[in-house]
Amino acid sequence: MLAMAEIAGDEAPTPPPPISGEVSTDPYTSTPASTGSNNPPLRTTKPGVKRLILTASVLLSFLVGLPFLLKSTEIHRSPLPSDAITALAHRLHSTPPSFPCGLHAVFLRSVPDRSDASLTRRLEQSISAQLQLLPATSTAGNVSVSVTVESAGGCSSSSSNVDSGWQCGTVTSADLVIGDEVFDELLHSALGSGGGDGSRVYTVVVVEVDDAEGMRIVVGKHRHAWVVGKADEVKAVSVIGKVFAKYFMNGGIEEGEAGIGKGEFMPVGSDGNVVLSFSLLNADPSDWVYDWDFEKIGERMLNPVVEALRPIAEINIESQVLYHTPKSSYSYSDDKLGGNVLSMGDIPFFVNSNEWHLDTSISATGRSKVLQFVVYIPSARECPLYLQLPDGRLSKTNAFISPMWGGVLIWNPPDCSLDSKKTHGTRKKMSSQELMETIEIFIGQLRQLFGLKPSYLSQNMDMPTKFVVSEKGFTEWELDLLYRHHARSNLLSCLTTLESLSSLVRSLPRMIVMDEIGRQVELSLEAANLAQGNATLGISDSSAVYATRARALAEDAFFHPSIMSISYASIEHYFAIYMPFFAPVSLHVLLAAIKELKRYKAERAKYSAFLASQATSS
Amino acid sequence: MAAHSRGHPAMREREFSPAGTSPYWWIRPCAGPILFLSLLFLFLFLFTAAAASAAAPEEEKFTEELLLRPLPDRKALAHFHFRSSAPPAASVGRHHHLFPKAISQLVKKYHISELELSFTQGRWNYEQWGGFDPMSTNNAKPPGVELWAVFDLPLSEIDATWKNLTHTLSGLFCASINFLESSTAFSAPRWGFKLNEGNLRYGALPREAVCTENLTPWLKLLPCRDKAGIASLLYRPSIYKGYYHSQKLKLRSSQSLGIILDQTLTVVLQPNTVSGEQLHSNHGQLQPNWSMRHLFNRKLSGKCLVSKSSRVFIEVDKGIVDNVNKSGSDLSWSNEFFVLSNSPDKLIKGQNHVEIQSSFLYVYDASNYTEEKPLDVGITWKLPLVWTCTPSPFHASRFLMGSGNERGSIALSFMSTNLHKQISGSPTDCSIKAVIFQVVPWYVKVYYHSLEIFIDGSRKTVSEVVDKIHVIPSEDKLLPGTLEMLLRFPCSMQSGTLTLDFDKGFLHIDEYPPDANQGFDIPSALVSFPEFSSARSYPEIDPVLGSPLLENFQEDSVVKSYTEVLLVPLTTPDFSMPYNVITFTCTVLALYFGSLLNALRRRIGEEERELKKTVVILKKWQLLASILYRKFVDELF
Repeated sequence: MLAMAEIAGDEAPTPPPPISGEVSTDPYTSTPASTGSNNPPLRTTKPGVKRLILTASVLLSFLVGLPFLLKSTEIHRSPLPSDAITALAHRLHSTPPSFPCGLHAVFLRSVPDRSDASLTRRLEQSISAQLQLLPATSTAGNVSVSVTVESAGGCSSSSSNVDSGWQCGTVTSADLVIGDEVFDELLHSALGSGGGDGSRVYTVVVVEVDDAEGMRIVVGKHRHAWVVGKADEVKAVSVIGKVFAKYFMNGGIEEGEAGIGKGEFMPVGSDGNVVLSFSLLNADPSDWVYDWDFEKIGERMLNPVVEALRPIAEINIESQVLYHTPKSSYSYSDDKLGGNVLSMGDIPFFVNSNEWHLDTSISATGRSKVLQFVVYIPSARECPLYLQLPDGRLSKTNAFISPMWGGVLIWNPPDCSLDSKKTHGTRKKMSSQELMETIEIFIGQLRQLFGLKPSYLSQNMDMPTKFVVSEKGFTEWELDLLYRHHARSNLLSCLTTLESLSSLVRSLPRMIVMDEIGRQVELSLEAANLAQGNATLGISDSSAVYATRARALAEDAFFHPSIMSISYASIEHYFAIYMPFFAPVSLHVLLAAIKELKRYKAERAKYSAFLASQATSS
Repeated sequence: MAAHSRGHPAMREREFSPAGTSPYWWIRPCAGPILFLSLLFLFLFLFTAAAASAAAPEEEKFTEELLLRPLPDRKALAHFHFRSSAPPAASVGRHHHLFPKAISQLVKKYHISELELSFTQGRWNYEQWGGFDPMSTNNAKPPGVELWAVFDLPLSEIDATWKNLTHTLSGLFCASINFLESSTAFSAPRWGFKLNEGNLRYGALPREAVCTENLTPWLKLLPCRDKAGIASLLYRPSIYKGYYHSQKLKLRSSQSLGIILDQTLTVVLQPNTVSGEQLHSNHGQLQPNWSMRHLFNRKLSGKCLVSKSSRVFIEVDKGIVDNVNKSGSDLSWSNEFFVLSNSPDKLIKGQNHVEIQSSFLYVYDASNYTEEKPLDVGITWKLPLVWTCTPSPFHASRFLMGSGNERGSIALSFMSTNLHKQISGSPTDCSIKAVIFQVVPWYVKVYYHSLEIFIDGSRKTVSEVVDKIHVIPSEDKLLPGTLEMLLRFPCSMQSGTLTLDFDKGFLHIDEYPPDANQGFDIPSALVSFPEFSSARSYPEIDPVLGSPLLENFQEDSVVKSYTEVLLVPLTTPDFSMPYNVITFTCTVLALYFGSLLNALRRRIGEEERELKKTVVILKKWQLLASILYRKFVDELF
């Protein structure tokens, strides 16, 4: 400032150089003004642009610098493939994943018959027509049908693309006498590795037996069923269609019944892990204390189940014994039924979460699911304790389930009816027979929790139906059903998660999105696409595996710690930091530029006026 | 570890011995033709005995014990001890009957071979409550949370595992143990705390508050929780009213042992008696009479049904025993000094490591008592009795010196209790070893070279006193400083002092805790005396008794004591400072920028002319004003 003043002071006395700018021109312009005349002030020299350029360049540099500032203060956001997510959503909504499968009908004729291609083709068409009539299921895609008619005379198949490994001549109706379980295995071997990796082929064998009094259906534990009896073609075709649609496609769940495919949820943690936690609860140890040998018997019985469900979930089994765990609902004594009775209405209050410390598993980390299976041993006061069904009867299993939580079984100890004083404070073991029965009930509950029927006893088909029970707890066709539904529900839930993540990211423009989240989303999409691809090929188990992966990755991305924990640098915060500098400075710069521009215009007007006056005077 | 592996096989042998001796008893009365039959019997018996003994260690066990002891300062000590053990089995971590599943999963997941976690409120009074018995060396813990663990893992994986472990424990016990996750919070001592091969980690949170929310998860690990058995005495308002409260969980695990979980709760309570007026002095007055009901507001009604044994001990100190012996009466449960309210089931004499009769234990078996006939054991004093507990060789305390927020020094002082004279006469040329272990957070920057040692007021060189020293200097925001030092004091020393200078560091604004002005805690230092063992021995004890509490007392453990927690005030910033700084700097910059811009585009000559013009105008205005004023004045007068 001082230096400027000095320069100005120095300049004032010196004669102005003609092109040195406004300062030097001032004496000329001011002379007419100071004379006090009314003429507009005149300017004899061209107005200088030095200060104008200066202020303009400062303004310009500010404007140029602005994008750099914005860029440098930008928050790192990994680009999420929102297009791919919408594409996936569109694909899943327009064509929900459907698994094509095959139906192979085999007619074993006892009478020598000339079987020709026309017969098989006719049967094939009528079965297809029958399937069209039956209600379609959500997960079943195209069903391709093929028919084989085998009789003493020979064997002819319809030239369909269903790849059933049926070997003619290995099974005859005479084999039926060996019993259903063995016949089931025989059929399985006759079918070979039916389907293999490709789409699932279900086989229904119609065995014609002349001396049978009616028809009988047996559903095997693999992917086949057989019908025994004498039936005409129309009847046989309708039975085949019913068996296929009702059991193989729907798991025997009727319209309006709760079960698989009806509810959205599977009791599987979003990372694909499930812990089955078995607890033995001694309500009051002062009456009796029971222990069990779960590690031996339980493991042996449950391991096949764990193996069977592996494509859906990684299952861990744990057990513990707890003491002093009273129930929290009241039971009343009923002399007619010979014990204490707990009605259905009290069941929601049965689980006593204050006293039942069931949740002590640290192996169930993260988002894995724990299913509790509880054996409740009532105290002597409330023993024997029965569950009463709404219709007044007692529950056969004395057990109930709570969806997504697990199951409870009330086990009345054998010395229940005895005088409690005799058994005071003794420690006993549950017998292995009783433990096995208990675990069987729990396997039934697990089936129910996964949406299947606990058993098919009360099914009303028009004719006697029998089911061969698998030692795995789940038959192969039931597992197919589970895989299909699991893949479907996981894909849908993965999609919901991804969509909400993408809308969350879009709604918070200043949220940091780590690269890892972007990568997880991409991987999840990739897995989802693979799952869908496998679904269209009909490979249900690997589709289920990929769908689980897709869902786990989507959840990982959504619950990434960086999303959960960061308090976002809001736009207000941003302004609060930069305002104290930029508000006053930009005010200065703008005002200076505007002033200079105005002045320049005014001066130029003076100069042009001067030029004009000179022109008129000359 | 070493002590433990020595102890356990012996215990197992004891269990078998009765079964082993009985076959001879079978043979002797029989002779001649019956010999064959008896041999058959013998084999049968041996077989069943072997089968039984093979099956025995496969069981999970639980025992519960309570020790009550009157303290010289009119208080009472209650020490609860619960042991759950799981044998080594493949199903560990998955299938359990008594042992808490969560703990076995923890051990399995983090490959823990030893772990100790303690929650403590209050400070153990080493002068009044003793410093030379198993109770003070094993169960006196520093205030707040202390956690140490030995891992059975390669050294490179230990730090990561420790971090996960702290998070799991913090979830399990509802405490902020996860603050021990940061590398600034834990250290790896080599020999000062416990001899190890670098697989031990130690961390302490001195400020952690301990309350019922930590006790409830701890109780959840017991099979009967606090519903039955000895734990039912834990009435919260009484036990949290005490002077000292320490809740501990100790885990030991190995291939041969399985997992042993010791849960202890040590409380020092003021007996809630009617004679409240004689609280503070004990000269010539009776000690307060108390019973369980006074201490806990509860009576013991039977044992936890799944526990193998359930016992209550009443221990009388060496001081009382000496007094009683001096008077010539015997130490029955009812003698001329005191009387116990119930007759004990058993009487056990204890000896300390130099075979001196030290204490008496009266044992009650809780399984003999029921709801209708509860156990309410207590002590009633007949004569006034004054006694003291055996102190540790030196009483250690720690304090801060210096003022201001820049620097200071830590001083550790040792006051002799003249214990060696009582124990080993008074040879003047002997020396006593002491090990100091101290962890200092990084923001207290200790200059270890500034170590000065004064013995009885005169300054000694470091080499005269220090035998061995191991220092891990602190690194800013990375590592705490760890000091392990083996000292050798002359026996004749009455007082010794160590000082260390330090500078106070600056923390980043994010690193300050919510209440920064309160100051920062330096965790307790641990002083141990390796030449002194606090182990007790019980020569008359029945080996089958199998009391884990007494087993722990028998373990060879050195005498140790924790010092006070130090509170260091640090400079705390104005926490709104960053924004103030931003605003202020920006304003200055904006001012500078604006004036520079103005200076650049200023026209001095023009301004001067303008100024002149305004001066002329101003003069005209002044003239006008003066005229008007004059007119106004004229009109007034």
